[in-house]
This record gives sequence, C-alpha cells and structure tokens, in this order.
Amino acid sequence: MFIPQDNERQKITELKISSGYDTCFSITDDVFHNKKLYGRIEKPHDKFEISISGCADTGLNVFEEFISSESYPYCPFSTTVFGVQTRLTMPGINIWKLHKSLCLNEITEPYDKTMKIMKTVAEVLKYDAGATGVHEAAENALSLKSGVCQDFAHIMISLLRMANIPARYVVGMMLGEGASHAWVEAFCRGYWYGFDPTNNKLVNDEYIKVSYGRDSSDCPVIKGNFYGNGMQTQKEEVNVEEIHAKE
Amino acid sequence: MNDLIRNAETINKLLSRYGVKFGIYKNGEFREQLFPFDPIPRIIGNDEFSYLEKGLRQRVDALNCFLSDIYGKKQIVKDRVIPEEFIFSAKGFLVPCDGVTPPKGIYSHISGIDLVQSKDNNWYVLEDNLRVPSGASYPMIARELQRRSAPDAFTKNDVIDNRNYADLLKEVMDHVNTGGINVILSPGRYNAAFFEHSYLAEKTGAVLTTGKDIVCENDNLYYIDYNGKKQRVGAVYRRISDEYLDPMTFYEESVIGIPHIFEAYRKGNAALLNAPGNGVADDKGIYYFVPKMIKYYLGEEAILMNAPTYLPYYEKDMQYVLDNFDKLVIKDVAEAGGYGVVFGSSLTAEKKSEFIALLKAEPRRFIAQEVIDFYDLDILDENGTKVPRKADLRAFVLTGRTTKVWASGLTRFSRNPDSFIVNSSQGGGFKDTWVLSR
Repeated sequence: MFIPQDNERQKITELKISSGYDTCFSITDDVFHNKKLYGRIEKPHDKFEISISGCADTGLNVFEEFISSESYPYCPFSTTVFGVQTRLTMPGINIWKLHKSLCLNEITEPYDKTMKIMKTVAEVLKYDAGATGVHEAAENALSLKSGVCQDFAHIMISLLRMANIPARYVVGMMLGEGASHAWVEAFCRGYWYGFDPTNNKLVNDEYIKVSYGRDSSDCPVIKGNFYGNGMQTQKEEVNVEEIHAKE
Repeated sequence: MNDLIRNAETINKLLSRYGVKFGIYKNGEFREQLFPFDPIPRIIGNDEFSYLEKGLRQRVDALNCFLSDIYGKKQIVKDRVIPEEFIFSAKGFLVPCDGVTPPKGIYSHISGIDLVQSKDNNWYVLEDNLRVPSGASYPMIARELQRRSAPDAFTKNDVIDNRNYADLLKEVMDHVNTGGINVILSPGRYNAAFFEHSYLAEKTGAVLTTGKDIVCENDNLYYIDYNGKKQRVGAVYRRISDEYLDPMTFYEESVIGIPHIFEAYRKGNAALLNAPGNGVADDKGIYYFVPKMIKYYLGEEAILMNAPTYLPYYEKDMQYVLDNFDKLVIKDVAEAGGYGVVFGSSLTAEKKSEFIALLKAEPRRFIAQEVIDFYDLDILDENGTKVPRKADLRAFVLTGRTTKVWASGLTRFSRNPDSFIVNSSQGGGFKDTWVLSR
C-alpha cells in the first residue's frame, strides 16, 4: 500500500504504521517515487489489518513539481508518459463524442481547457457508488453516465490526453469523506495542478495526496494476494479531521 | 550423412520418449505435440558463420545499448532518431522499469535472432526476440542423440560441437549473479517449453523452480528448498513473460509469478534474465529502426540486413504499401508466433478493402515487408523422399562479459509446401544446424 509523503503542497508528520502482525515490512519507491509499503505473512491467517495515522500540513502551494525539461534526468518521461492513453483511459465512441462537443480548439490556454473539461465531466456523470467495477474503463463508465470518483477522474484524464494535456491520476483523502478519494492532476503552464471532477472543485488544503500514476491500476489503495482457497472481502476506512484552522 | 537419415525414425522416437514436445493451447485445450525432427542438417560454412557472428554480435550489442538508453536518458528519442510514439505507446515499454539499471547493465542476455536466407544467398534478419526466446534445447538434444547413432558423422564432416550452449548460458548467469544460486523459473509442467526449462536446468546446474518456491523478503530473493531452508537467489533465468512475472508490479491476477520479485531486481539484489521491459526493443515496429540504432550507438553500418520494411506510420511508406499491397506481407506488431501475418496477395477483394481500412485507421499497428524469396532446404517427407521446404534459422546470442554467438541454432521448417510460416506453434518441424570448423 502507498503512504502519503511530503511534496510542495503538503508536509506529513507523526506517521505511524501498525499491523499487529509479527512480520517484516519494507518501504520502497515505485517508478513515480510514490512511497510503497510491502511485506508478506507466512503463517496461516484469516484476516489482515493495517492502519496508518499521521498529520498533514496541507495547502502549502496550489501546484507542484516544476520540472524543467533540462534538469530532470528522464525528461520526456516526466510528462510524455502521462500524455499516452492507457487501457483504462482509452477513448471509445462516447468519449470521442464528448471530446468533439467540447470544441476545445476555441480555447488557447491548457488551464482553461482543463477547467472546461472538469466542469463538463462533473455535469455529464452522476455519482453512483454501485454502477461501476474496481478497474472500470473510462469509456464504459461514460456510457453508463454514472460512476464513482475513479470514473470521473479516468474520463477527465482521457479527455485531457486527447487535448494533448498530460494528466495523472491521484489517489488521496479528502476532509470529511469516509473513503479514499481520487482526482486528477493536469500539466499546465509547466506545473501540475490538481482538479477534482467529482466535486467540480480545484484541489486545495482539504486534500491529502497519497500516490499518483497513469490511471487507477498504478496506484491502488492496497493490493495483495494469498495462497489458499478462501473467499475474501476488503474493508477500508478513512478518517480525516481538521486539527487547527489556517492562521 | 546416410547413417543420420537411416536413424531418423529412431531419433524421433527417442525425442518423443525424452518428452521433447511442444505444448499448444488451442480453443482453451492443452495439447502436446511432437516437434518433428528432420535428419538432414542445415550446414553453414565457417566463413559464412564468421560473417553471421559479426553481424549478430553487432546487432545485439546495439539492442542492449538501445534498452539501456530507453530506460535511462532516452537520448535516441531526444535526438529524434526514433519517434516518441514508437516508444511510449509500445506495449513492450514497461513504465515500472524506467530508471532501473539491471546488474552489470545487461538487458538482453539471451537473444534469439530469426534469420532467413534468400535464393541469392543473402541473409536477412526477420525478427529479434529479446524477451523469452526458446528453442536452444531442441538442437542440443537432437545432436546428443545423433552422436549416439552416428558418432563419426560429426568428426568426419568437421562440425563444431554445439554441446557448449549450457556452458555459455551458465557463464552469463554467473556473470550477472548478485550473490546466491542460479535458478530457472518456469511457469510449470503445462508450459509449451517445459521440456526446455528442465533440460537447461539439468545442463547448467541451476535449480528448476516455479514461483511458489521463491519468496522476496527485505528486497532479497530466497529459494525455499525441500527442507524448508532458505537460500539466497542471485540470478533468475525466468521463462515467464513480463506481464506474469510479478503480480504486485504487473498483471495482478498472475498466479505463476513471484510477488515483489521486481523490488529485489530494482534494488540490484537479483539479476533477471532477460530484463523485464525488453519488449520495447523487439517490437516489430522498432525492428525498422535497428539499422539506425546500430549507426547511432556504435557508429557502424549494419552488417546484417533487415528484410525491406515499410512503416505505414510514415506517409511515404503508407503510399508505397497501398500501391504495392499485393506483393507485400503485412504484420501486426503486437502479435507473435506467426499469428497476425497477412500476405497481401492472399486476400479476397472484400477482405482486402476491410484490411486497408484498418491499416489506415491504425497505421502504427502494422509494418509491411517485401516477401523474401526463401532459399529452400530439403527435408524428408513421409515416404523418405527429399522435398524442398521454407526454413528459417534462430540464432542464439548470449551476452555476459562479452557477446557470443552459439555455433549452432534452431532451424525450423514449414511442413506445408505452400506455407512461409515456420513457427513451432503452427506445426513446423526442426533440423540440426551444423557450423563447420573449416
């Protein structure tokens, strides 16, 4: 699973990880430099629990990671890879139609295009927790006209990439929500800005970022497998409280 | 030679007894079929082999440079020798591999380069296989059995011994090993090439294992032996494709991989042969650029030729393909094993217009090639009569401290007189390949 870390928008302190199992865990980086916790349990077990707590100082900035193409070692990778559609964001007929209806070539600034895309996705899609599956493709979700935050984000990413704006999928937490949340970062004017299409809102100090990737399959909240023939269910609880207001 | 032909049937029987089979999944069913062996060897003279050797080493060295560049600085893309689209949207470009340097910097340790010889005696490279090329064990065991039936045939004809493949392979594994044992990781008994996995394990002294016997702990790999004892693993010759290698990094549903093996590899604690992500270099679309790569990285002209290839992605090439559709062969870059290959002349008018529409809609997905007039090799048919058939040669090139070409190879032939497709998964047979010492 991924662990929130410091970036230009947020600072993480008092991080505590507890699993209650006598086992070893390692912390590693993935290719996008997300912090990842992994391990294994050898003994037979019928459940696995893990909890992470900490404080986040948020809203330190509205954008992150200015990457000049010269200084970053893997220059095309920093943005190009987020400009390529993935299996989950690949546009089909519905996304193509939506893309055409946006008439984005009438707008010049990528940031303004992104705003229009976010607004449109928020209007077209209805929030419905039961409508879509775990790794549903954007095209399917749009054909159903409903979905969860993941589907809002995938559709928005698909449209951004069609407009040649690199976009990444972000998993995190939001003040007041009982589950993890997902939103989008778009590369505009040389910066990554956060957009939340589910709430039609710019990402601000109510958001804590955990990980990001090309689509949801790069950054699941948790994943794992086991040997055995038991059935499994997964339960996730997220609790974000405001400790003290901004000065 | 006559001894070899006389014993052909016995050898085929022995091959079947030793389990030299090729498994095929068709319509969801697993069937094993024999890989028919033909006793007439392909013979490559010493001068000709020296030429091939030079060309193959150059090609594989350039491909290794390319892989190290693509997962590193990407200079070849920045210098616009290869368009970005051919890299980042390629199925074989694995994002998790970016920035990861494998032990000793080698990406393709075992490369299977498929060549054909044309009627005018030129060799052409048809395909590079840098992921999990299989087939070396077949000529190895065929030679072993033939030596028993006709020991003289090899010394009398000055044939270079090909039984050193296992030594070459072991040398490569030892060279990249990061401390610990060598293992061969097989998907298991029902894999098409399981015979080869077990044979190579036996010959190299590596431990034959499946994913269930290896664990990753604290970024290190351990093999759990029959006593439950853990032994550190330093090199994994894995015969599992990238997608299935690590369910935590790649295809999540994989049950044949090892969870977190990629972490051990990323941290430099275990070598994987071949490195994950090599698919970006043996993509049929990238094939077009290999001669350019040789020039770019090594500053040399390519010694071995590609079959004349066109990329419909470039407008000029698209026009050529449309104008000459009937004399070309079109290949889907995402397919392997002889699937997704279409001969322009074989299509009905209706199918042809359908295909051209697809080609125009997804030009990046296809390459077109001139059909090479193969130099046919004789095989023995059911009645023992010599008949000519299309054949190719898979050369095995191993990269460790240096790059070496195995003085043998897998010659595959099509049993169907009208077919150009020699792949074993499509029912072809094989021959021994003799390289002469004079």
